[in-house]
Amino acid sequence: MNDRVELFRGNRIFLACIYWAFVLYVFVPLILMVLMGFKESNFIGFPITSWTLDWYTGIFADAEVVSTFAYSVAIAVLSTLISVIVGIWIAVLLEGRKFWGRTAMFGMTLLPALVPGIISAIAFRIYARFLGIEPGMGAIVWAHAVHNVPFVVLVVMARLSTLPKSQIEAARDLGADPMITFLRITLPYLVPAILGASIFCLLLSFDDFVRSFFLGGYEPTLPVLIFAKLRSGMSPEINAIATVALVLTAVIGVWAERFTRRMNKDS
Amino acid sequence: MTYDAAARKNGQPNAERPSDRTFWGRLAGWGPYHGLMRLATASPRRQFLILAAFPILWVLTQHLGPMLQMMRVSLTDAYPVAPGVEQSFTLDNYARFFGDSIFWMPFFRTLIFAVVFTFCTLILTYPVAYFLARHVSRKNQMLLLLLLLIPFWVGEIVRTYAIMILLGNTGAVNLVLKTLGLIDRPIPFMYTSFSMGVGIVYLTALYMLLPLYSALEKLPKSVNEAAADLGAGAWTRFRRVSLPLTIEGISSGCTLVFLISTGFYATPVLLGGPSTTVFAETIAGFFHVAGDQWPTGAAFATIMFMAALIITTVFQKLMKSLRKGEAT
Amino acid sequence: MTKLILNRRRFIGTAAATGAALASPAYLRRAHAQSGGEVNIWTYNDFVPEAFKAQFEAETGIKVNIRLVDDQGKQFNLLAAEQPNPTVDIMTVAGHRFLQFIDNELLAPLDTDRLTNWGNINPTFSESDWATINDNKWGAPILSGMEVLSYNTDYVSAEEALTWDTLFSETYRGQTAYIIQDMMSIVMLMMGHDGNMVAYMDDPERAAEIVEEAKAFLIEHKPLVRKYYDSGAEFQQMMVNQDIVLGHSWNGPAAALINDGFPLGMAIPNEGSYGFVYTFNITNNAPNADNAYTFLDAILASPEVGAAMTKASGFISTYKDSDQYLTDLERKSTSFPEEQLANLQFFRAEANEMKYGLVDPAVEAIKAA
Repeated sequence: MNDRVELFRGNRIFLACIYWAFVLYVFVPLILMVLMGFKESNFIGFPITSWTLDWYTGIFADAEVVSTFAYSVAIAVLSTLISVIVGIWIAVLLEGRKFWGRTAMFGMTLLPALVPGIISAIAFRIYARFLGIEPGMGAIVWAHAVHNVPFVVLVVMARLSTLPKSQIEAARDLGADPMITFLRITLPYLVPAILGASIFCLLLSFDDFVRSFFLGGYEPTLPVLIFAKLRSGMSPEINAIATVALVLTAVIGVWAERFTRRMNKDS
Repeated sequence: MTYDAAARKNGQPNAERPSDRTFWGRLAGWGPYHGLMRLATASPRRQFLILAAFPILWVLTQHLGPMLQMMRVSLTDAYPVAPGVEQSFTLDNYARFFGDSIFWMPFFRTLIFAVVFTFCTLILTYPVAYFLARHVSRKNQMLLLLLLLIPFWVGEIVRTYAIMILLGNTGAVNLVLKTLGLIDRPIPFMYTSFSMGVGIVYLTALYMLLPLYSALEKLPKSVNEAAADLGAGAWTRFRRVSLPLTIEGISSGCTLVFLISTGFYATPVLLGGPSTTVFAETIAGFFHVAGDQWPTGAAFATIMFMAALIITTVFQKLMKSLRKGEAT
Repeated sequence: MTKLILNRRRFIGTAAATGAALASPAYLRRAHAQSGGEVNIWTYNDFVPEAFKAQFEAETGIKVNIRLVDDQGKQFNLLAAEQPNPTVDIMTVAGHRFLQFIDNELLAPLDTDRLTNWGNINPTFSESDWATINDNKWGAPILSGMEVLSYNTDYVSAEEALTWDTLFSETYRGQTAYIIQDMMSIVMLMMGHDGNMVAYMDDPERAAEIVEEAKAFLIEHKPLVRKYYDSGAEFQQMMVNQDIVLGHSWNGPAAALINDGFPLGMAIPNEGSYGFVYTFNITNNAPNADNAYTFLDAILASPEVGAAMTKASGFISTYKDSDQYLTDLERKSTSFPEEQLANLQFFRAEANEMKYGLVDPAVEAIKAA
């Protein structure tokens, strides 16, 4: 019996080491990035001979960076909402009963994720003109939403496939119509998957350069601005912008989490 | 027949759910809704059509539409069409890929890299997800998971440059090794398949981590303990219990990561060396140079996504049969 | 910031009083007659100085919308996708890429008579051979760039940098980098051929031979190179990280490093090199063509604007007398000795179709080798 406890503890320590090594792997570049935002030079890199706060003060003085950030966040949130709703709907259809053409449907669902960025951007641009969508925020939201649907479908399908059929049947036996069964049984069961998928969508949208570039108008999204600034060198300013964006997103995230928790408590 | 009426009829008064009667019950009993639902669910066939109509419409117009446009371009001899020139259709753009072996190298390299990096990501993140889901208390799980998500909010380009600062000749790693007196001369990590791997796994880890975590988190602890009681060792327990039960998470994580890594452009270009050209770079080349190369680029893109589609489908089928095999 | 605008105001005031006095009223009259509207521009970061933009908007009432781009190919693709009704009035094309845009009817010929300040451009750029295609001018030159050999002065001597051979020497194995497409032209030049390939336009077989020769050379020397790069930012980062000590680059990114105090030198080697010019162009079917002319005329008015562009990009201004607004270091990083400049020639577009038809596959082959 003691052996077993020992074994578990050994495992645990081993896994904890891997976990913290992984934390190190993902955080060291991040720390370097933040650090470089304080370098007094036009280029990031070692050695750092003198430090400055100018890059940060410069960002807050520059209205463009702040409005660009807000613009990117708005695009990410709107496109995620659309992707999640459409994605769940498609996933429910695909995980439901078998029907003719289901494999084809699954393949077509994955399409937007399979095409390299530049191609998909140009394809979207040509198609937007065909549909009469003007370049600008609407077009970017549309392209991001379409591009991100496959990711939602994959994540939601994985979770749906583990939903015990008995629960659905029980609800149906109780006379609940499909709509209410979905809202009361399926949707709550999907919450973790929906959260995960939303995170994917927000990230993919927030970080997308090529689609935003081709479908945008004269107002840049954050990655478009960063790419343009990169032309004149990888300056600490870009690191400072990324850091500020990171902090702001974290603040918004925490606020949103608190907000939803309060909403849940109230209801 | 309303939900409440059904419940009463079945002799199961839902006393523990008073809210049913307040909202859901009322909704179900509300005339217009009830009528609409009855109309919609009159027959299984109609119900299916209503469920399927929107997704099919969406996929056909939004997913297939842009792709068909692209495929059409891939079959033309010139695009954008110069004024006064007649556009004609041809298969030459596809022939160009199959006819010239210099394009095969980046093509297969991309597929092999994508598979290898997907596998690396899996190996690296599985223990992390396992630790989080099985060895951390529920309360701390969310916190530690959120901690890992933070770096992923930084854009691809900025993170890629951070990797350069990490691995460069005067980068952080070389700096540390030198300070410790382990090396005299910097180790050239950058611009190799190693630096490329470090960068790509860094970008994809999240897409593997979350599906794995959600699969592992569902796994009841008792299953593992029971196996241990039966005398199964750690490896056997993992192979016979955890692995089969998390196969969906693995399958969905691998699919996501594979799809994302075949499409990577900026990171391989920035972190790779002279001999690590990926197919996305080849394709982008056709769009950067002269305009009349668009059709070739489009054809190559079509070839790429056909290949990715086939691999993904085969992989999913394989996983499904594996799952079935384990179940019996 | 305020001070700069004041300075500029004063400067434009002086200019109006002297050389451009006759022209100025026309420019102002036109601006007033238009009473606002907008002008849409695609350009690189900082190519339109912020202070100039603010002043132009205040004085003419024309709103300037700038869309930042990061390379030529994307501008071309985007404009092609927008045809035949583009949203853009002015775009930024590199002179040797004109032909591609012109062939696809994406640009309108430039009516230089409508630009009273055209004479402020150094004639080396405004009247040179590459700038005139089909008997028309197609853009207003603003900045000039060139292919140079850049080196870390702590490791490489100025003499070594006088020949491209150093880039391929065993001494600097694994410490060099270049843009492979550009290097193809330079290697042809090293071998004594015409890298523009204009000389072989009637002899495609000879052209193919030469490309084959350059390709073989680069494949042979592939083990020596650390990286084939694409963007100036990559080059700068490799230098800062000391991943390389020597490399081919454009002068702009190299000058930016020098101005930051990095121990970098650059040279136009004896075998020669190529130069190119960024121009502001008016698009075909531009929605606000009149405003576009007003804008171009205004931006050409002052050498101080030219100097601001140089400071931001590191490329050399095409404006007469702009260097008097630069610091000593900035002047040093944007000038070359006469004898080196004598080795420079401009990229030409005439043979581009044949050239890139041969070079692009060669580049693929080198990468795959």
